[in-house]
Amino acid sequence: MTIRNVRDHGQRFRPRMACLKKVESVMLEMQDPKTGVKSQPQRLVITTIPHAITGEDIVAWLTNCYSIEAEEAWALGTMLVAFGYIYPLQDHKRLVIKPDASLYRFQTPYFWPAQQWPVEDTDYAIYLAKRNIRKKGILALYEQVQYNSLHKWMNYKWDFIVMQAKEQYRAGKERKKPDRVVFDCQERAYWVVHRPPPGTVSAMDYGLERMVDPNTEEKQTSDFFRRIMIFTQQSIMRPRVKSSVSIGALVKYSVTYNKHDPFLAPCLPSNPWVTDDVTYWFLNMANVGIPTKMRVERWTFSFGELLSDPRGRDDFRLFLKKEFSGENLAFWEACEDLKWGTAATMNDKAQQVYKTFLTRGAPRWINIDGKTMEVTVKGLKHPHRYVLDAAQTHIFMLMKKDSFGRYLKSPVFKDTQKRAICPDQHMFSVPQLEANARKRRPSISPIIVRQLEQEERARMATSGPVDITQYSPALCQNVLPPPGQAAAFSLSTWSSPAKPRPGALPIFSRSRWTSLQSVVSTPVDSEDEVERRRH
Amino acid sequence: MNRWRTSVDEIQARKRQVTECERALEALCKVTACFQQMAISIGSNSDGSFLREEMDETRALAHRICTGLHRRLVPLLTERATEPGQEDRLQVQRLWVLFLTGLENLQQDLHKASDFIDRFPLKQRNDRRALVNTGATDGVTGVSARAASVQTPWLAVEVEQNPDLKTHITQIDVLVKEMLQKVSIPFWAVEATQEAWVEGTQSQDAAHDQDETLEEMMVVSQDDQMSGCCQPLNCKLGCMFCLST
Repeated sequence: MTIRNVRDHGQRFRPRMACLKKVESVMLEMQDPKTGVKSQPQRLVITTIPHAITGEDIVAWLTNCYSIEAEEAWALGTMLVAFGYIYPLQDHKRLVIKPDASLYRFQTPYFWPAQQWPVEDTDYAIYLAKRNIRKKGILALYEQVQYNSLHKWMNYKWDFIVMQAKEQYRAGKERKKPDRVVFDCQERAYWVVHRPPPGTVSAMDYGLERMVDPNTEEKQTSDFFRRIMIFTQQSIMRPRVKSSVSIGALVKYSVTYNKHDPFLAPCLPSNPWVTDDVTYWFLNMANVGIPTKMRVERWTFSFGELLSDPRGRDDFRLFLKKEFSGENLAFWEACEDLKWGTAATMNDKAQQVYKTFLTRGAPRWINIDGKTMEVTVKGLKHPHRYVLDAAQTHIFMLMKKDSFGRYLKSPVFKDTQKRAICPDQHMFSVPQLEANARKRRPSISPIIVRQLEQEERARMATSGPVDITQYSPALCQNVLPPPGQAAAFSLSTWSSPAKPRPGALPIFSRSRWTSLQSVVSTPVDSEDEVERRRH
Repeated sequence: MNRWRTSVDEIQARKRQVTECERALEALCKVTACFQQMAISIGSNSDGSFLREEMDETRALAHRICTGLHRRLVPLLTERATEPGQEDRLQVQRLWVLFLTGLENLQQDLHKASDFIDRFPLKQRNDRRALVNTGATDGVTGVSARAASVQTPWLAVEVEQNPDLKTHITQIDVLVKEMLQKVSIPFWAVEATQEAWVEGTQSQDAAHDQDETLEEMMVVSQDDQMSGCCQPLNCKLGCMFCLST
């Protein structure tokens, strides 16, 4: 028995496969003895099997039937093969149409891809068991892997699977030999489409499943009309822009991002999804020391790009540290933390932010205008996730208009730009691609990534940027956050003393150090060390 | 003393019933396999009224096996768990889980068959044009004979009405739902009695050797576009390919 979350019996609809109905009508057109595709017998060693068709015949028929170009007919033919309606007789693992004399055959309707029922793992397990019986244990590597994992997960029905496999094998033997060959080809082709071997591209990636059939017409009830009315009312209320302006914006976006789009321009060194080589991802990790040239170029496009890339944000933070204006970025990050954090810590976080950034004489006081400050302080009486939104936007615009421009001209950025690397493009031969596919391994577990991130954040907390106001300990005395909360909120910490005053630890922070040191593993005087370690 | 003796009789009767159910499960597997072989030909050029009749008969057979098995398994499960019947209980649970899986398998095949029978009606002569040319020729006689050769103790005894396809599907849907709700068995407690990969190493009958050539045949398929080639030359090429694989 199979566990089903929903007793669907065909109610789960796969939206991108709505085209299958159309493909099926094309297939039926092709069968017509007069106007369909010409078929010929396929001669094997001891027998002849009818109804084989050549690739060029298929493409020619499509060109004539739909009055399209040969290239489009070729693409359409490849789609028919990729969906599994036609299968190749030679080179069965590559689901493409070769417009030459290579042979194909039509797939029987039982093995057609269906929108309304998913391909069951139970059936695949039965197929693998059957194959095991036939080939006495010599299966391809990917099949062995699948077999083992299915045996583990379907252990409770494994007896049935083996029984059914044996019975199906014996039932198959009752048929005449040419039919058996045909059936084996059909079944093999079916599973190449639905469980593609590594290196095969099939068309079965269909996105999320939906609970509603996208092919049915919606009933026009009053609910339906109410929704249409609300939609049109909202459309009218939207602000309008001249099409020249909006199109100009689209054109500008396309021109700027043209070389960065992995579909339009090749990834350097190579697209991991295509070549199974993960160098690209390694070179573009969040904490990499030297970023790639493309990445650095992307930072110059807009301030949002710079901030959303963690490496870019680090670079920007370094620049601000040198300018002693890190509080803006710290405040912005604190707001993001509040927006995306858990609801339980929200109150505390909001209070921390207020004490650290907003109140009069705060240690890292940010400069926002009076109106915004008023609104924010009023909101903080009943804090919620978006209470700091206005202030955050203000600071964002401030950084964008002021610091961003200076950053792009600064020596920090220019240095990063100079040291950025530009990797060469990989040129893999076909056996190398297969070797890459075999060597695929899962990446680092997200749990470990999250732990590393948290450690990094804690490390940064001890060696955060020094702000001007920290030099006046008298002012800071009133606004000490209680010691226990240091670990939860990484930004409300005292940094190590600035270089010019090595020995003078502010008195009030000594109690904090103990709690901090238990969290953080790096030594106190680690500003430069962190820099050295990163670059 | 009498109590002990009656319980021995009970145990024996129960054991007999359990073996009966196991045989029935194997029979169900056989019949569903044959049904699937036939269902594969629906909509193809080897489809025909003969095929559909055979399918109906096989389906009716499956129906009788299913209902009989269901009727026998339920009391076996719901009987009070007495001490001697403990190992029995695990076995009966295992049978229940396997039966449910088999029903779901059959259900899927029935859905597909029903869908395609609707899509490829054979009532008019024009409809034959729409059938897909798959290269298969007729060959279901052996399969249907195999299905008909299935034996279960109650097949001859209980005569029921054979439902038509749609009713059969709804009946099976209802049966599956009911089975999932009626008896709550932790199916994860059922374990496979066979290790992985065992079925590949078991010795098969002599017909197995035939299959090697089948595999080679599939790989060695040649295209015969050269109309100039005469038969003997083709055969020679074929032999060359055969030897090289």
